[in-house]
Amino acid sequence: MITITDLEKYYATEEVRTIALNKLSFKVKEGEFVAVMGPSGCGKSTLLNILGLLDDPDGGSFVFNGIEVAGFNERKRADLRKHNIGFVFQSFNLIDELTVFENVELPLIYTGVKPAERKVRVDAVLEKMQIMHRRKHFPQQLSGGQQQRVAVARAVVNNPKLILADEPTGNLDSSNGNEVMDLLTELNEAGTTIIMVTHSEHDAKYSHRIIRMLDGQKVTENVLAEFKSV
Amino acid sequence: MIRNYFKIAFRNLLKYKGYTFINVFGLAIGITCASLILLWIEDEVNFDQSIPDKELVFAVPTNQEYDGDIRTFFQATPGPLAEVLKTEIPEIRKSARKRDLNLLLSVGENSVSSSGSYADKDLFDIFSLQFISGTKTEAFKNQKSIVITEKTASILFNNSNEAIGKNIQLDKSESYVVTGVIKDFPKNTSFQFSWLIPFKNFTDGKEWTKGYGSNFTDTFVKLKAGADVEKVNEKVKAVLPAKTGDKDTEAILFSAKDWHLRSTFENGEIVGGRIDYVRLFSFIALIILLIACINFMNLATARSEKRASEVGMRKALGSGKKQLIFQFMTEAVLTAFFSGILSIIFLIILIPQFNALIGKDLSLGLTNPIHILPIFAITLICGLLSGVYPAFYLSSFKPIEVLKGSRKQTGNASFTRKSLVVMQFSVSIVFIICTILVYQQVQHVKNRSLGLNKENLIEIPAANGTIIQNFNAIENELKSEGLIENAGLYNSHILSAGNNTSGVQWQGKPEDQDILISYRTTTPNFFETTGMKIKEGIGFSSSQAADSTKVLVSESFAKLMNTDNVIGKKISWNESVYTISGVVNNYLYGDMYGSSDPVMFFHQAEGADYMYLKPTAGGSISEKLTAIEAVFKKENAGFPFTYRFVDEAFNESFKNEQLVEDLSQIFAVLAIIISCLGLFGLSAYMAEQRRKEIGVRKVLGSSVLGIMKLLSKDYIKLVLLAIVISIPIAWYVMNSWLQGYAYRIEINWMVFAIAGILAICIAVITVSFQAVKAAVANPIQSLRTE
Repeated sequence: MITITDLEKYYATEEVRTIALNKLSFKVKEGEFVAVMGPSGCGKSTLLNILGLLDDPDGGSFVFNGIEVAGFNERKRADLRKHNIGFVFQSFNLIDELTVFENVELPLIYTGVKPAERKVRVDAVLEKMQIMHRRKHFPQQLSGGQQQRVAVARAVVNNPKLILADEPTGNLDSSNGNEVMDLLTELNEAGTTIIMVTHSEHDAKYSHRIIRMLDGQKVTENVLAEFKSV
Repeated sequence: MIRNYFKIAFRNLLKYKGYTFINVFGLAIGITCASLILLWIEDEVNFDQSIPDKELVFAVPTNQEYDGDIRTFFQATPGPLAEVLKTEIPEIRKSARKRDLNLLLSVGENSVSSSGSYADKDLFDIFSLQFISGTKTEAFKNQKSIVITEKTASILFNNSNEAIGKNIQLDKSESYVVTGVIKDFPKNTSFQFSWLIPFKNFTDGKEWTKGYGSNFTDTFVKLKAGADVEKVNEKVKAVLPAKTGDKDTEAILFSAKDWHLRSTFENGEIVGGRIDYVRLFSFIALIILLIACINFMNLATARSEKRASEVGMRKALGSGKKQLIFQFMTEAVLTAFFSGILSIIFLIILIPQFNALIGKDLSLGLTNPIHILPIFAITLICGLLSGVYPAFYLSSFKPIEVLKGSRKQTGNASFTRKSLVVMQFSVSIVFIICTILVYQQVQHVKNRSLGLNKENLIEIPAANGTIIQNFNAIENELKSEGLIENAGLYNSHILSAGNNTSGVQWQGKPEDQDILISYRTTTPNFFETTGMKIKEGIGFSSSQAADSTKVLVSESFAKLMNTDNVIGKKISWNESVYTISGVVNNYLYGDMYGSSDPVMFFHQAEGADYMYLKPTAGGSISEKLTAIEAVFKKENAGFPFTYRFVDEAFNESFKNEQLVEDLSQIFAVLAIIISCLGLFGLSAYMAEQRRKEIGVRKVLGSSVLGIMKLLSKDYIKLVLLAIVISIPIAWYVMNSWLQGYAYRIEINWMVFAIAGILAICIAVITVSFQAVKAAVANPIQSLRTE
């Protein structure tokens, strides 16, 4: 599903040029659950942003679903993104001024789904995430775990092929964190590809494979579970 | 999608109430201001719109050249001109003369003093007067006919329908039969009259009105449809020189379209008029709106941090840049819409005050599409204008940066923001400087030495009734009762021009000298009454007959004669010879900003228009006026007693300047309020943004004062820059404004200094609210929130 080859990304300030990704290459198959680990500043988040089509690489190739997307402009990336990719962030990034229902509804609005169908789909996903009773509340009225469940609901409501999770449990206590990891595992078992950046060895164990990075390069790869191509 | 935007916009507006208040309130002030000005402009532009075919209607003033200087006079055409224009110029369909006067109209015990005119019957067609009863063809068939307005009819008769065929006595003497009642004029019409009587009533027995020697009447014409105005004007110009042989006086056409807005002539050409004020205030309205919009832009971009993660998330979820721009524009337009509603409330409250200030009768008339649509349009434009920059700015955020919280305020946005603040303050400072200078100029002229003492000087119209016959009796009675010190008659309002001639000759006058001299007829005590001084020679004696060949001249007249001693010298005018017996000091009349023409004074009570009284010092002036009124009621029985104070009349002659002064004060205050609102909001967000920095500094030992300095410093720099920018602009604007006045102030650099210091003080006070708040906050609190 994803093939990156010699991917490069630099950050330049006036004085120094930092290499965030240094000729990074790997593949992710459809339906796989991959954890990316490494110390702060190793390039994990940069990688995730490029995989999420939020950012453009400076070099190398990125083939998504058989299409070369490196060099796509913002509009093309946005179009591809909204139909294929869901995001889960450490800080949830829910929109404070919208209710739970409205937050989850947002991706459907952007993909042009009709109101009646939106309601059905949002209700279904809220039911699944067990936050239906909170649908009219605003994010500030929820606990961290609940907020992240909403964020996951928002990420999956469009039935994306790929979910990118950036330290999804980073702001949660262990029981809430486990709940979220269980949710992600369920989604993966249902066929969604997941790439997760994390610092937590515990969370990483939920995945099929751990890619460890240092200074923008892949150092090791541990296969934890047998993954059969779907 | 739109519903989603509205929802977000609403919730945002509610959540950040202070911010919303600043935006909505600031913009509402701007829209209110612009709406008031638009209402005023509408009224100005609609002046004389009620005259049908007004593009065919013209007044005929005369251009007269004196020593190379062309002056334009109204009510200054000779008697035969109207008829000649109609018979000699085929494009002229109608022509009529009109001469205004004030008379007492009486029906039995019922009297009203009102202004009207002697007129030719073509005037009915020229002004398209609408007869309610009677007909325009019959109205002036008989010489002793009078046509009155509906309003006059309802005052004099119980029912305006009863007026026709009834008698009205004019000035307690001759009776006239009402042959027509016409509809009242709308308020905003240049030429107003309450009644009309045939012109023949004026010319009968006055041979001088039959020739070209005297310019004494207004002339109006109506052209045939499709006539070439330029060509007709050329023909009109040729008429007087052909008849009189004098090339220096020509009649011109002055379109009804220009009567109100373009009535200032210079060298025989229209150079402007109230249109200048219309333009000026339109420009000011635009500027005020702009600085209100700037607030919106500044605050929206300054608080972008708050919106950044929303933008990031929306982008991550697939929103395109266009959709985000649209969202933020929606929000801006919604805010503007609230401002629009608020401004309508402001307008309802403020229109009466505004009317009082400008002396008009404007109304909001929201059901009128001409009123509501512009307000709607202004609101929409403001929304779009103030939304466009924030929309592009916010929507350009990179989602990864804002979602990871790594985004820093970009240098660009803060530069833009600073430039906009500088712009706002520059405008405010320009307004402050202009306000001060306009005030100084008006005061300067008001304090100008007039050469007479206008304080407490009472002016009473003397043309009607028996005031002139009984003048001596009135004067003596008022004196013996201790009410007045002196009294005098005058054939002109003391501060007005008019009654002039270029036909005065004296020995040694250069052949080619063509100069306009005003003539005044008066009584002996006039000079003492008004505080004017006889500088040389003696004044008039008590006998008018003995003084019949005597003349007094003004100093400027004496100077004109270019001789050492003018006393005893002779001048000739109208085939009579007069001996100069005294020289009177120059006094100011006509153009209060310019200099006045030379004057000659004759001893003559008849033909006086006004009586002047100098009340005795001390005591209550209103009690004296009551006593004076009693004397007038007795000596001028049947006529109402009216008066005014010359100093009030003097102040009234600065109406236009006063309006500019008042409005520029208001606009200066509003501009400052709006700018301060913006600065207040901006400094609040800046202080919030620097909370952590301030906390760290305090922990490290910085004082409250040190923090305040830190936060205020940046803004002071901006205001200083604004001062530097605004001074040349203000100087240029005011210097060209002052050029229009011959008698004017010098621009003093102190004004700039005062305006600058004022602006700095205002800015410091505004910013220090936030600076103090931030500086005294507990640093632990601010550090913990990170």
